[in-house]
Amino acid sequence: MSTEDLNLTTRTDLSCPSCGAPLQPGDRFCERCGARLDEPKEADGDLRVELDLGTAAAVSDQGLVHHRNEDSFHLEAADARNVTVVVCDGISSASAGNVAARDAARAAGAVLSRAMADPGNDPRDAIVEAIKAAVEAVIQVEWTTRVKRVDPSCTLVSAVCRNGEITVGWVGDSRAYWFDADDARQLTIDDSFAEEGIAKGLLTPEQAAKSPFLHSITHWVGPDAPERPPRLVELRPERPGRLVLCTDGLWNYAPSARELGVLIDALPPRAAPAAVARSLADMANDRGGHDNITVAVVDIEPSPA
Amino acid sequence: MSNFTTECYQNEYLPLGVSEVNAIVTVTSDGAPGQAEQPEAAEIVIIDTSGSMGTPRRKINAARQATKVAIDCIRDGVAFGVIAGTDVARTVYPTHSTLAIAAPKTRSEAKRALDRLDASGGTAIGSWLTLAGALFATVPGRTCHAILLTDGENQHETDEHLDGVLAEVEGRFQCDCRGVGTDWMVSELRRIAAALLGSVDIIAEPEAMADDFHALMQAAMGKATRNVSLRLWTPQGATVAFVRQVAPAIEELTGRGVQVNPLTADYPTATWGRESRDYHVCINVPPREVGDEMLAARVSLVEGEEPRAQALIKAIWTDDRRLSTHINREVAHYTGQAELADCIQQGLEARKEGDLASATFKLGRAVQLATESGNEGTMKLLQAVVQVDDAATGTVRLKHEITPLDEMSLDTRSTATVRVGSAAT
Repeated sequence: MSTEDLNLTTRTDLSCPSCGAPLQPGDRFCERCGARLDEPKEADGDLRVELDLGTAAAVSDQGLVHHRNEDSFHLEAADARNVTVVVCDGISSASAGNVAARDAARAAGAVLSRAMADPGNDPRDAIVEAIKAAVEAVIQVEWTTRVKRVDPSCTLVSAVCRNGEITVGWVGDSRAYWFDADDARQLTIDDSFAEEGIAKGLLTPEQAAKSPFLHSITHWVGPDAPERPPRLVELRPERPGRLVLCTDGLWNYAPSARELGVLIDALPPRAAPAAVARSLADMANDRGGHDNITVAVVDIEPSPA
Repeated sequence: MSNFTTECYQNEYLPLGVSEVNAIVTVTSDGAPGQAEQPEAAEIVIIDTSGSMGTPRRKINAARQATKVAIDCIRDGVAFGVIAGTDVARTVYPTHSTLAIAAPKTRSEAKRALDRLDASGGTAIGSWLTLAGALFATVPGRTCHAILLTDGENQHETDEHLDGVLAEVEGRFQCDCRGVGTDWMVSELRRIAAALLGSVDIIAEPEAMADDFHALMQAAMGKATRNVSLRLWTPQGATVAFVRQVAPAIEELTGRGVQVNPLTADYPTATWGRESRDYHVCINVPPREVGDEMLAARVSLVEGEEPRAQALIKAIWTDDRRLSTHINREVAHYTGQAELADCIQQGLEARKEGDLASATFKLGRAVQLATESGNEGTMKLLQAVVQVDDAATGTVRLKHEITPLDEMSLDTRSTATVRVGSAAT
């Protein structure tokens, strides 16, 4: 027995980023320290993805701690007054959560886009269908693990904005907020133990915010998700304002609508949705960037009726 | 050539700072002999012919009969022999100091030689194993297997001598051990069987011997591989907490590793037929950061130097408790089965020493574990030793009268496990 047996002395140009041991082409793990090799520690995609559609914009940022962005969004505008948006936060394994979020956003986005092409369709039905499609898509996501209880899955919040009317549907703890000159409010109620505790009177909002279970969600998009329909909320604003959809990577740093509203109010009064989205994502990074951050902003003009 | 397949069951998600990685690896061999490549085998039956085997006479008669049945199972071309053991060992067949090659003629000669066998003298098991080792050494390159039958304690040798012999012959042949009646020592045969990678069991009535030998020799003839090692690679900085076979029975392998290189060790698993075994591997690795994934161990089955199949045991650190908090079902199950075996052995030991409180507690816990896991075989054996008041909570009373047979049966078979999902739910 000698170190030659270890094969570590083989000459090669590849070396393990973790321990520096030489590698053979095709190695999936370092033969000395066991580090995973085919997924580099540095982001293999962009650190930030932005989409600016004028009256609507979205930013998805990797944050400062995670090695990969497991959030995803879909944003589409038929015109300035007809916008569909989906925001997802992958909550599964290190290697499949991102795929789950991406596929869910894509599938839900496609359904919304098709459904909204026909003005006769009810946005509520469209959202329910879109979330069903997201579940179907996530079921197809390949497991990267044998752990059967840990299926790839994600949260989802989506909105259909049609001629000044807003319909929001969600599962999990990604949120939607409404801001206008007089109002700042959260439209969604998290599917989480914390929120359920508050709803049942077991926790005060202050206790919930400190609870270790704040992020334990009770509903998600995935094959093992509880069988219950997504929650829906409708809004017909009377004043122009902004709809904001985001993942917990943002709201962790400004949980209440009031706190987020203060941040938005600090921006120039007519700031474009892209500027608002960017500035909110930057704020989250400034405060630590502990999670992926995704934020979508849609400018809403009230319905003329 | 036999094909091996593996399946790995684990929760690879670890909370931050945790270093222990557990996995159950199921290894299945299809037992396919392949084209005329049946490994060359060698078989020896070792029969205790000490004086006690003659009282009653039916014991030695049954042993003779059982050995004949075993010989009839040996296929042509296999090297074989029979050893009679007392305070010395001698070959009953063949008469020269090597093994015979099985054929109709040699099989009848061997059976005739058995008719002349009688019972007288003492018991020195180490000397029997030494002779078996020497005979196997005359047929190099063959896969060697023995069946050892005794009815008594190893009286004419010290423990140290037996240990020395075991160290000497370990790895040279596999040995299934059988104790007939209730005058032998479970711990002694278990020690021999464990060292020589064989099974240990009790044969209550001499008449049951023939069926048992038949099954043992059939299984031996069904082995389609040479000696196979479970090769375990672990990364630098990792330590192997334990490696044990957990199904069909618990066999500790942790101390049995032979270092292949600084990161790799081979654990012996002997030969394989058409069968499936489960292994529990527990590794400590240096913890890493959130989102980091690493290979915590690579398990491969190696026949000679040929890798046959492998399984990867991984570790991924996460801050998502939904991922890291649940214990894998298979890991939990076999952790329970190992505790079950420990509880029985400790409970019986405590009872022998008169510590009835500990015995009741341990055997009660065993009842609880056997019930939870659906291990009905062990449960039945436990019920012969304790009165079960409430199986779910493990509330039991020790029975006053326990036959040595019940006690030894429970002790011997305490390591038998059941697989996940056996519990009637």
